[in-house]
Amino acid sequence: MDKPVDQTESVETQPVPALDLLTSFLRLGASSFGGGMTGWTHREIVERRQWLTDAEFLQTLTIAQIMPGANPVNLAVYIGLKLAGLRGAAVSLFGMVMPAFLAILALSFTYQQLRSHPEAQAVLRGLACVGIASSLTMGIKTARRLQAHMLPIGIAVTVFLTVGVLRWPLVLVVVAAIPISIAATFRLERKKNRG
Amino acid sequence: MDDGKLFNLILMCIPLSLVSFGGGQTIIASLQHQTVEMQHMLSGARFTDLYAISRAAPGPGTMIVSLIGWEVGGLLGAVLATLAIFIPSSLLICAVGSYWQRHRGRPWAIAAEKGLAPVAVGLIFAGVFAVGHSARFSLIELVTTLVAGAVLLKTKTGPYPLLAATGGLYFLLSITGQV
Repeated sequence: MDKPVDQTESVETQPVPALDLLTSFLRLGASSFGGGMTGWTHREIVERRQWLTDAEFLQTLTIAQIMPGANPVNLAVYIGLKLAGLRGAAVSLFGMVMPAFLAILALSFTYQQLRSHPEAQAVLRGLACVGIASSLTMGIKTARRLQAHMLPIGIAVTVFLTVGVLRWPLVLVVVAAIPISIAATFRLERKKNRG
Repeated sequence: MDDGKLFNLILMCIPLSLVSFGGGQTIIASLQHQTVEMQHMLSGARFTDLYAISRAAPGPGTMIVSLIGWEVGGLLGAVLATLAIFIPSSLLICAVGSYWQRHRGRPWAIAAEKGLAPVAVGLIFAGVFAVGHSARFSLIELVTTLVAGAVLLKTKTGPYPLLAATGGLYFLLSITGQV
């Protein structure tokens, strides 16, 4: 475990052609209907193309989840960076986002055509309910994984109240809350490790 | 098209991109607040529509900014807003991703990874509150939301069957004059 992670070097010495990256991520971006992106990406990058090992993929995934930004996009960018440098990152970003972007444009256009119809309004209200329900579910599932301790729960509640109810600027709240939350976690972890 | 609004939208997206820990759902509260209440780019009802479309569309929920960009500045607006939300976070992961990966396992890195979760939880609930508040749900919509939430929480149903069923139900309710 103490060894620095240099196994990736074998991959970096042989950059993957940008065109191959582009086709892989365009394909992944186009299959992003219905989620499950991590599984699809693993299948394409590890199983089919064999560009990364299982362990490398897992490390990449963790970083993609920690960093700000949409996870599937982060995953694409970081894999692209590892396989073919900044050019690879740019190509992978483009491939991952373009299909979804075209779908969004098509939906925008359809929305403009249909939005005066009351039926379309009703359907959108229904979809908004499901959208909110799915965010709520995501919040509940993430909250369940928090440590059962005053500090993390207090931080979550404070962020909710300041951003959601009091409407303080989100960026400032996050910039202030993250160091506090990390410091609190650091102390909790140290206490836990000492027994 | 309104150049001032488009410029403001881009300026709004860049910092949000850099703090969107946990993905698109964590910045919804701020997007709603800024585009509807502070800068009046959209009405509350329009924002709710775009939110619904973004949640039903493929791709990350972050792409609601592409829809807002389209509303504010057409195709150019959609392209620029999309770039503004994806480029900053992508540059950040290129800059510090490898560094973080090398130092994983250090106490501070473990604390950082765990310490992001409480902030993300607070932000997700803030987003739910902001959209729910501005949507001004009727009783039947509130019930729909709670039932959909229970289905997602208790069963393995994916979002797409649920979206299709709810969309179909509301279409029927609409043509029979119930909503």
